[in-house]
Amino acid sequence: MMRKERIDRGVRVRTAGLYAIASWQEILYLVGPPLFLIVGAIILPILLEFAPYWKRVINIVCVYAIIALSFDFLANFVGLVCLGGAFFVGIGGYLSAIFNVYLHFPVYLSIPLATISGAVISTVLLMPALPLRGVYFAIVTLMYPLLATRVIEALNIMGGTNGIIGLDSLPNAYVEHYMVIIVMLIFLYGMRRFVNQDMGLVIRGVKDNDQAVRASGISVTKMKAFAVFVSSFMGCFAGAYIAHMYSWAGISLFALDFSIIPIASVVIGGGGTLLGAVLGSFILVPISELLRNFGTFRIVIYCVILTGFIVFKSEGIMVYAMRKYHQFERWVKV
Amino acid sequence: MFEAREMMVFYENMIALNNVSIDVPDGKIIGIFGSNSAGKSTLMYVLSGIILDIKKKEEMRGGERISVYGKLTLDGEDVSSLKPHLRAKKGIVLCPERRRIFPESTVMENLKIGSYLSDKERTKDNLEYVLNLFPRLKDHLKRQGGFLSGGEQQMLAIGRALMANPKVLLLDEPLMGLSPAYMDIVIGGTKEIRDTKGITIIITEQYARPVIPIIDNGYILENGSTVLSGTGAELLDNPDVKSAYFGV
Repeated sequence: MMRKERIDRGVRVRTAGLYAIASWQEILYLVGPPLFLIVGAIILPILLEFAPYWKRVINIVCVYAIIALSFDFLANFVGLVCLGGAFFVGIGGYLSAIFNVYLHFPVYLSIPLATISGAVISTVLLMPALPLRGVYFAIVTLMYPLLATRVIEALNIMGGTNGIIGLDSLPNAYVEHYMVIIVMLIFLYGMRRFVNQDMGLVIRGVKDNDQAVRASGISVTKMKAFAVFVSSFMGCFAGAYIAHMYSWAGISLFALDFSIIPIASVVIGGGGTLLGAVLGSFILVPISELLRNFGTFRIVIYCVILTGFIVFKSEGIMVYAMRKYHQFERWVKV
Repeated sequence: MFEAREMMVFYENMIALNNVSIDVPDGKIIGIFGSNSAGKSTLMYVLSGIILDIKKKEEMRGGERISVYGKLTLDGEDVSSLKPHLRAKKGIVLCPERRRIFPESTVMENLKIGSYLSDKERTKDNLEYVLNLFPRLKDHLKRQGGFLSGGEQQMLAIGRALMANPKVLLLDEPLMGLSPAYMDIVIGGTKEIRDTKGITIIITEQYARPVIPIIDNGYILENGSTVLSGTGAELLDNPDVKSAYFGV
């Protein structure tokens, strides 16, 4: 009888843990993939100089990647499935509009300020929902953006249905690109590091068994609140950036797109890897741009891709790719 | 006659069962003993077919690759590749480790769920039988399963398995976390099931002492392979076994 065996590559075993780096191949093996991503992301705007339409898409891709990171962190590391990614985006967008248009802060001040204060506000507003788990948390967070839209419409505040117009746009196209690309890379690698720090480990413990965490003398609510702060921090940056990119903050910042497309990216890329969230956005958002000509029919294609992934490859691209990269298979005799 | 021939199970590259063969003659009680990580639960998963389900879930998730080899026959018919629910239909019913009762359903509902496969008449008979076997359940028929004590939950789990008209009943660690008094009730009940209904029973346990008097044949597993087999008395006579599994 034969059995397919799956074992780690030699180079993987040598380079894991001890960092016994002996040759160029091993160094390349370790730093190759992240280097490819970083360098690729940085030269992308230059490469796409010849396709101005697609240059604009890079920004949108990166924005969605950031929102997907925030969803992946909250869902797969904290255990809070948050369907309200658009809420963070909306809060960040409106705050930066208020800072910029009403208070006349420059762009470089309004984006960071909106990010931080937006994260604080989102965390405080989500505080009552924190004891909830699973589908209840998902439903409550799904309600938040809808609620925000209706409040703005009904009270006719902050520009009402017209939104706030006349935000300063970023000085030039390259600043626009590199700002979001670099922030995305910082968030990605920062989060990858963070989830393996002490605090990150506790937060992952909350997902696995919150009673055990409580029994260890750690406040679960505090931990969850901090995790929501981190996650909404990323979401609010994305919102603030979009508002400045379009020079406009309106109720479409609370649109369902900002909640759903990042979730789909995480499913395609592979949940719980963080890199997968970014990869998924880099695949999904350009596809949805390509399909723009099909109008509403693109939703159908979109749904087919998503369903296919969930049914046939629910592990996601990233998990699959990582396995192929680190391990090889061979037949052995049982 | 229920037979397992040369069962091998790999969790990725780790071997969990190595060439385990067991014979289960009709109407006997077979004991399978071993310490933690000996492969008892894996063997139960293999016999009941749950392993196929776990394997599929791991595949979908991109986790460990589980490989299963070997042949299982029930009364001469090959059941190795049968899905768990079809095996239950054939009469191989598992009473899982840690009981896994439905905590939000009442005791009555739990039993009814167990009897999904049988018809009205037999359900009535079975229900009466289970309630006679474990009279304590009678007092709690309307209570939610999750609010029962550990011992009562174990009785309920065995009762639920009995409702499915088993030919071969697999009890995975039925004594886990029970007081000596409850152990006696569960062990007595197990013997009675065999004596009155002639159901074949396979029972796994770490602590062999309470189980050994009722078994006809026993196997001792260590690191996935059988190191010893024989009747209850034979196992008791072996000095190594005595010190390791009976706490004498």
